[in-house]
Amino acid sequence: MSTATLTNPPGIFPPAPNQNRWERAVPVYGVSVFNKFFFLLVGLAILSGFLTIYREAVGLGPASGMNDKFGWGIWKTFNVVVLTAWGSGAFAVGIAAWVFGRKRLHTLMRMALLTSMLAYACGLCLLGVDVGRPWNFYWVLFPWNWNVHSPMAEVAICMSVYASIPLALENIPPILERLWHFDVRLQPVVEKLEHALHKFFPFIVALAYLLPGMHQSSLGALMLLGGQRVHPLWQTPFLPLLYVGAASFMSFGCVAGVTMLCCLVWKRPIDRDVLEEAARITAWIIFAWLVIRNLDLLFRGALFTAFHPTEYALIFWIETFLIGYGGWLLLQSLKDRKLRTMFLGYTLSSVGGMLYRFSPTTLAYMPGPKATYFPSVIELLIAIGFASTGIAIFLVMVKLFAILPAPVQEWHNMALYFRARGPYSNWTKYFNFGFFGDTEPTESD
Amino acid sequence: MRNESKTLALKPRRKRTDVAITRRELITNIAKAGVPAAVGLTVGAEMLHAEEVPIPSAPLGLLYDASLCIGCKACEAACNEANNTPPDTSRDGLHQAPTDLNVFTRNIIKLYKPEDGSQSSFVKRQCMQCFDPGCVAGCPFEALYKDQDSGVVHWDGDKCIGCRYCTIACPYSVPRFQWLGLDPVITKCELCSHRLAKGLKPGCTSVCPVGAVIFGPRTALLLEAKRRIKNNPGRYYQDRVYGETDNGGTQALYLSRVPFDKLGLPDIGPESGPSSTLRWQKRIYSYFALPAVLYAALVTVIRRNQHGHEQEAHQQEKETGLRAQI
Repeated sequence: MSTATLTNPPGIFPPAPNQNRWERAVPVYGVSVFNKFFFLLVGLAILSGFLTIYREAVGLGPASGMNDKFGWGIWKTFNVVVLTAWGSGAFAVGIAAWVFGRKRLHTLMRMALLTSMLAYACGLCLLGVDVGRPWNFYWVLFPWNWNVHSPMAEVAICMSVYASIPLALENIPPILERLWHFDVRLQPVVEKLEHALHKFFPFIVALAYLLPGMHQSSLGALMLLGGQRVHPLWQTPFLPLLYVGAASFMSFGCVAGVTMLCCLVWKRPIDRDVLEEAARITAWIIFAWLVIRNLDLLFRGALFTAFHPTEYALIFWIETFLIGYGGWLLLQSLKDRKLRTMFLGYTLSSVGGMLYRFSPTTLAYMPGPKATYFPSVIELLIAIGFASTGIAIFLVMVKLFAILPAPVQEWHNMALYFRARGPYSNWTKYFNFGFFGDTEPTESD
Repeated sequence: MRNESKTLALKPRRKRTDVAITRRELITNIAKAGVPAAVGLTVGAEMLHAEEVPIPSAPLGLLYDASLCIGCKACEAACNEANNTPPDTSRDGLHQAPTDLNVFTRNIIKLYKPEDGSQSSFVKRQCMQCFDPGCVAGCPFEALYKDQDSGVVHWDGDKCIGCRYCTIACPYSVPRFQWLGLDPVITKCELCSHRLAKGLKPGCTSVCPVGAVIFGPRTALLLEAKRRIKNNPGRYYQDRVYGETDNGGTQALYLSRVPFDKLGLPDIGPESGPSSTLRWQKRIYSYFALPAVLYAALVTVIRRNQHGHEQEAHQQEKETGLRAQI
């Protein structure tokens, strides 16, 4: 970042005791949205758009590797079942911050809400591509036609309601805030809207925790009806609970891991206090989860199958190792205070959790002898393309809106930067007419 | 000075709101919101659930005796004709030789022939018309439904979203999805209901030369099966009818010389898939009582925490001179 020339005049901003204390969300300023990586993502997104048209025209058979035995491919089993769990930070981090009062985690909330919104939007869009008769989806509007006890109905209804109402509303504050800073004339309207939003905020937020709790567990309940076709190492009545648990620690990994990555890429200061609190919570969720899972395996007598020389046992041990070692690294990072250890811990536990969520639907699903499934190239490209769209929107959002947490100093640096550049200099600017935040309003218009 | 006195006056209140909700507060809040009522509904719903799986008033079915079947596959062709589906000649472009049930094939004859030369057997596969079908339990918008009288499981294309959950939820892997084209359908045996309406028998039972598959009311078929077992002791595997109680009872019944699981009829036990796996699912969501209580508790807790959070943000606003981000 070209902030070297914009050093602060000494004495005006007294240094805080913890220089890196995240207190404020600040946009990533002074960096263009358009770069090679962004164009690569856009290219993949456009390609997946064309391939989606092809898939709709010819049907699922030629476009994917799905078959009569494996009725579900990676669009459902990875993009919906796995990626929405990884991106359910708005649920898990939100509960820690809002319900259990882990106040320092509030600084991570905007990252959590944005990643969740994108993961859910990506999953839901791909669900629309995956289903064979999407035009019948309007039945979701008629509750008397819901088969309320079907896990699939819960997933379809809960997910779409959650993403389109509470999660979308929770994501509005950064947008309103930008409008407030953008033009003085908008401020009264924005303040009125914010006031209305705050009034209903507890009701919205509570709904935003209830609904994901329901559909993340229903995603686990989906495979219960798979019965004996899911390997006993995964098939358990506790599958819904274990799925929620996996979503919880994975989403902490997503929020904290992505924030760390962003801080690394855009050279933002890292607040250890927040990340360590998140790491501690994640590690304990992981260990509680491992205990529940292994006790369940023990009491059902399925643990012995983990010692048979099969590929299922291998997958089980890989999962257990990744999740357990990831959790151990997170605890270790609290002692050696190395961000590298912490990042590795988040990454490994997230990958392990992803594998766990993926296994019952595909790797450990045994629909019969000789049944095989491997995603086709088109299927993979569409899945990657939809995820790329999400990442591309993320890159635009963090540069336009105040999402990434930073010390207050960063905000002043940004104001200085835009003042030096002047208005109309850069379309990613946060302020347009007026208020830079740290001074009296300048003459507007 | 004024400011100071204000903060002092707020102090006791801030203590209550600022601090994270204690465990005790959380629990009492939930309890106040009506746990007893919710638990009553959740547990008491068990009694209601006994009635929830309705037994059809006059269940119709098939009885297939694998020990009689000669594997002529006349029923396959008759099924195609009765349901107006083209013969599946995809294997060599000439013979109707489907490898498994598929979108053109609602009924198929397969051969089980072990390599050690022991007893072999043909098996006819079609929808089992379960009393408590997994496909119906899983179908999100009731596109698959069980007829209240005949008990036949039908598919309604106007409600199906094509999610293919039925292909996973059916323990017999019966429903099949059409992988080609713009308007894919789900195909499964519907016991030739259109023929029954005209007073005809299902296609497969009308052509069988040896009477290996017969059609009738399930009760009559069950009596016939028991009669055969009684008259031929030792002929049938375990001297039992598959489908009498398996998976909660099915309307297609099977007799066989070889173990049923060799014929693709898994040993599920007398409890149906949906009732054994979705029991808690059903109970937790009955009358939406528990979710409602949880919602009320969450709102209470979050409201209190929001107050503290906003106060803190405004405090910070005063300190830094920057607009609060809430």
